Amino acid sequence: MKKIIKKIQKNEQVSLIIILIAIVCVFTAIQPNYFSVRNLINILFSASIVGMVAFGETFLIIGGQIDLSPGAVAAFSGVLAAILLNAGVPMILTIFIVIAMAMLIGYLISLMINFLKMEPFIVTLAIMSVFTGLAFIIGGGRSIPITNKSFIYFGAGDIFGIPISIVIFAVIFVIFHIILTRTRFGRTVYMVGGNEAASRLAGINPKKIKTMLYLITPVMASIGGMILAGRMNSGQPTAQSHLMFGALTAAIVGGVRFGGGKGTLYGCLIGVLLLESFKNGIAVLNVQTFWQNVASGVLLIVALSADYARTARNK
Amino acid sequence: MQYIEFKNINKTYVSIRALKNISFTARAGEVCALVGENGAGKSTLLKILSGDIQPDSGSIFIDGKEKHFKSPQEAITSGISVIYQERQIVPFLTVAENVFMEELPIKKNQLIDFNKLNKCTQKIIDDFNLPIDPTDRVNDISVAYQQMVEIMKAYRRNSQIIAFDEPTSSLSDSEIDMLFKVIRKLKEEGKVIIYVSHRLKEIFQISETVVVLKDGVYIAKVETTKTSEQELIRYMIGRDLGDVFKSLRRNKNIGDVILEVKGVNSDRVSDISFKIHEGEILGFAGLVGAGRTETMRAIFGADILNSGEIWINNKHVRIKDPSSAIVEGLGLCPEDRSSEGVIKSRSVKENISISILKKICRQGFIDFKREENIIKNEVNNLGIKTPSLQTEIIELSGGNQQKVLLARWLVSNAKILILDEPTRGIDVGAKVEIYQLILDLASKGLGIIFISSELSEIIGLSDNIVVMREGRITGFLKGEEATEEKILTLAMLK
Repeated sequence: MKKIIKKIQKNEQVSLIIILIAIVCVFTAIQPNYFSVRNLINILFSASIVGMVAFGETFLIIGGQIDLSPGAVAAFSGVLAAILLNAGVPMILTIFIVIAMAMLIGYLISLMINFLKMEPFIVTLAIMSVFTGLAFIIGGGRSIPITNKSFIYFGAGDIFGIPISIVIFAVIFVIFHIILTRTRFGRTVYMVGGNEAASRLAGINPKKIKTMLYLITPVMASIGGMILAGRMNSGQPTAQSHLMFGALTAAIVGGVRFGGGKGTLYGCLIGVLLLESFKNGIAVLNVQTFWQNVASGVLLIVALSADYARTARNK
Repeated sequence: MQYIEFKNINKTYVSIRALKNISFTARAGEVCALVGENGAGKSTLLKILSGDIQPDSGSIFIDGKEKHFKSPQEAITSGISVIYQERQIVPFLTVAENVFMEELPIKKNQLIDFNKLNKCTQKIIDDFNLPIDPTDRVNDISVAYQQMVEIMKAYRRNSQIIAFDEPTSSLSDSEIDMLFKVIRKLKEEGKVIIYVSHRLKEIFQISETVVVLKDGVYIAKVETTKTSEQELIRYMIGRDLGDVFKSLRRNKNIGDVILEVKGVNSDRVSDISFKIHEGEILGFAGLVGAGRTETMRAIFGADILNSGEIWINNKHVRIKDPSSAIVEGLGLCPEDRSSEGVIKSRSVKENISISILKKICRQGFIDFKREENIIKNEVNNLGIKTPSLQTEIIELSGGNQQKVLLARWLVSNAKILILDEPTRGIDVGAKVEIYQLILDLASKGLGIIFISSELSEIIGLSDNIVVMREGRITGFLKGEEATEEKILTLAMLK
């Protein structure tokens, strides 16, 4: 028994899964509807959008970086897509333009970090503010209705009862997991995050890696933003203010080391599920939703303390 | 205040004994110089004096009263000020604000009394006869005056013991004159001055007595007028490790020139030219800050090279960053292993294969079998002791971490290896192992640049030795003719 406990303590993912199961059990005991198919799909749906961004953040944090802008970029993307569709731009082209715009934002961020030597925290904070504002400005501050059927299908449609966004989420998870664990790029991200100076002396170009990293989160944010816009039939400038916070919390809860060099994508996945099932539980219990914010803040502090304890022990 | 006495001071870092039973006395009204090779224990002693670290045993007595400083603040209250090489000032504040840092005069209404502050500072500036203004911002004045600000701070605190750590390292000749005038004034006022410096010439200009440390041991205290530079150097040297080096297998086959550096200049070094042959171990000796690390970083593309040429195998190569240096067959094991060498949070395997990621990948995907085979092979070759290849490198001993870094360059087929202080922080047994490894690599035809601050190592391993001082090469010595005395003379004297 002792051995099993020790193993569990060593394997963070296992302990996270246990916590996840405990959360589900507790909420189901209080409110049996919590464990209904409908509600579980609800959890997965909200997990899918936060999750896409969280996967991007996982790459960044492992690489020793951070991006605070995805929430704003998601809102901006949703509004921009709505405007383009209403102007008669075909759906495929709209998606293409929005993603290209997201990549441009990421590239700008990386230029400021690599060449103007700015702090990622500050740069992305500024970008967050800029695009929060722009999301209101380009749409005149209103939510912009979307009528394009196939675009709405991406947000609200399903395949055999499973929402499209969950399918996209699953596909992205598999691809990102393979990139992180099996490719040269993934390995390099761990190295640069573990020790940038040492990586450079070992022949890696950290600037190139950072440039690629900062393309990931805005693209994920723009995809998430478009899916959400599709689901709500409109591009809403206020839509995604919590997205960045949720994504960061999920990654840290999932054992991604703040500071870089360590973490897994499945850890992050469990972190996302944990966070969303908790928030959903609070909503199902009809507790004031503001408590969700309090709870996720507390969760982030707990996760960071655990992260600190791990690092301290390793020293 | 009459004197300060160090009595039986001992300090041990993780595995290294930094100070062993240090005892000596410095009196008021004298400048007591503290000299010794790199690692002799001067900095450790200063840190103990300033309360920055605590000795394992032993005490400091001021006028016969025993003192134990638990923090820098306690040392300051006891009248001790240490002026370090790195400035301890706030660059955005004024001269006056820095001088009165922790004791700013305050008016009745709790606001800072700037009139009084500037007046008091002006008085100190006049005492020292300096051409600066109390309201000058510190980052607008030269390095020499910044140092004066620190001295004035010590003076304002009425510190009776003022220690200087390499105070002249970034000063010009006229600025040194100014500093010496100030030090003499402090001396005449009856302060104890402890003066740490590598520059023997200055010690003869400024000091009354000289204390020599070697390997953390007190060697001698002499009156400056009764000694000579050569005598001091003789005190500093003479470590007996001869047997260790005699028992090593050496390489006798020196091949063609493999690397030639012609007239390299960077921001930190000037006019560096040297050659190294296949199978040769070229030692780089010099004091800390002589520019050896900076030279190698410039050659390796880690720092910007302002001018100069690098020839490898008689071909002029352009190295713009470390990655292009690696392509040309260079490898660098950096001086600071933990911050620039190892990637702490990652495994032994990943720490080695980082240099060959291109080679072990197909279309961007890692070939794990290939990686494992190459790494396993090299780990066995070098005898790296690790529980598994997946073990985090930080769990290994210093010696084994260093071997992992060597393995990194062996798998990448480096032809020229730059080893910067490869035995620092490694215990004696593991050191001998590293020595043999270095010699074996030379036997395989690698050219090895070996930087070390331990003269015995340099002499024991190198086929030829380059000596540097203040960013320039000051001499070349053949391995067999090199002695510690000759090296130190080139490294210290103008």
